[in-house]
Amino acid sequence: MAYTPKQVFLNGIWLDNPVFRQVLGICSTLAVTNLLANTLFMCFGLIFTTTLSNLTISFLRDYIPKRIRMIVQVLIIACYVMIIDIIIKALAPDIHHFIGPYVGLITTNCIVMGRAEAFASQNKPLLSMYDGIASGVGYSLVLIFIASVREPLGFGTILGMTLPARDVWWHAWTIMIMPPGAFFMLGLFTWFARRWLTREVKR
Amino acid sequence: MTKTSPAYILIFMIILCTVFGTAISSVYYATLDMLKKNEKLHKNRIICQAFKLPVSGVSADAFQKAIDDNISYDQITYQGRPWDTFKQKDTGSIGFIFSGTGFWDRITGIMVLSPDLLKCMAIQFLDQKETPGLGARIEEEWFTDQFKGVPIAWDQPADKRIIIGPSPIPNAKNRVDAITGATQTSLALMKFLNSELESFRAARKEWQEKKIFEVPSPSWE
Repeated sequence: MAYTPKQVFLNGIWLDNPVFRQVLGICSTLAVTNLLANTLFMCFGLIFTTTLSNLTISFLRDYIPKRIRMIVQVLIIACYVMIIDIIIKALAPDIHHFIGPYVGLITTNCIVMGRAEAFASQNKPLLSMYDGIASGVGYSLVLIFIASVREPLGFGTILGMTLPARDVWWHAWTIMIMPPGAFFMLGLFTWFARRWLTREVKR
Repeated sequence: MTKTSPAYILIFMIILCTVFGTAISSVYYATLDMLKKNEKLHKNRIICQAFKLPVSGVSADAFQKAIDDNISYDQITYQGRPWDTFKQKDTGSIGFIFSGTGFWDRITGIMVLSPDLLKCMAIQFLDQKETPGLGARIEEEWFTDQFKGVPIAWDQPADKRIIIGPSPIPNAKNRVDAITGATQTSLALMKFLNSELESFRAARKEWQEKKIFEVPSPSWE
């Protein structure tokens, strides 16, 4: 099936969103969304990796021996992850301290491997790159939304800046920065998004 | 040569590994200075936290100045192992860098003891790679705060000077709570902390006996 760039973006960001439609990349979604700054760096890392790994795998798709294609894909993804890990460690060491373990786990993130195998290994480089960006952006939008709710409710801050209501009439809702808060938020988001999506598709 | 032949696969993988290996190395060397600077800043910040030093600002220079003004540094070598030791100039508290194997990887940190080595004043971790959300919680304040003022039971067996988790002695004063769900990390930490305390005391004793206090201390880098 031939895709247009518009279709690719629409699928990656909304119709086939990796988080709430395909339920991929949940580990990092739950883990890093208690602070928006951490989330932004994680999203940057994932977009960087999906984009470049899709592009590289698509360029090499005619040369990669079928028998070892998964090994090659993991190798390429792992290299980009190591590069982004070094860059975050150099530019934002404090954030790296917190999200470091999850950056390493991008290598095994189902979104990256899934897009490499399902799309990049069968489509042209430019389209594969768009698919990588779209999947990364789709993942990022969900994470940013969840983090934008969890951080103000849990810490009373947004991007580290204290909100005026904190300790005046709003007191930190600790559960929001703990794993259960992430489960609640992701569950609610998935519910609303799927309800909306089903209605749209029916229409 | 077909794509399925072993020779093709081998050559393909060699080229791929060379290209990507070079790319990673290039990025690493391009950021090496920044990485080293960050590492030093992190170390200095942890030392300042452990000794509760007054720091005017959050810059690397501010932390370095706080350490230069308040801490003297010595490196003791004992049985071939170098020990980084610190002494707070006004209180006389003594700190040392400890290291040991956690559940997954090496854990390093700094422990501050009272001048007579009878009490733990603070503990802070420099590096650990334990499970996020479980063992990695050793860095959290509620855990490290428990060590403040905990007596080191030098009269107890070498593996029970500090107890993390349940103690056979009820209400033992040298006990701190372990982390729920991270029993292996807690046990590993207890094991190597006790071992490090024993070695450090021996190292310091030997160093004092040699009376090398007169040797000018190298500056802390």
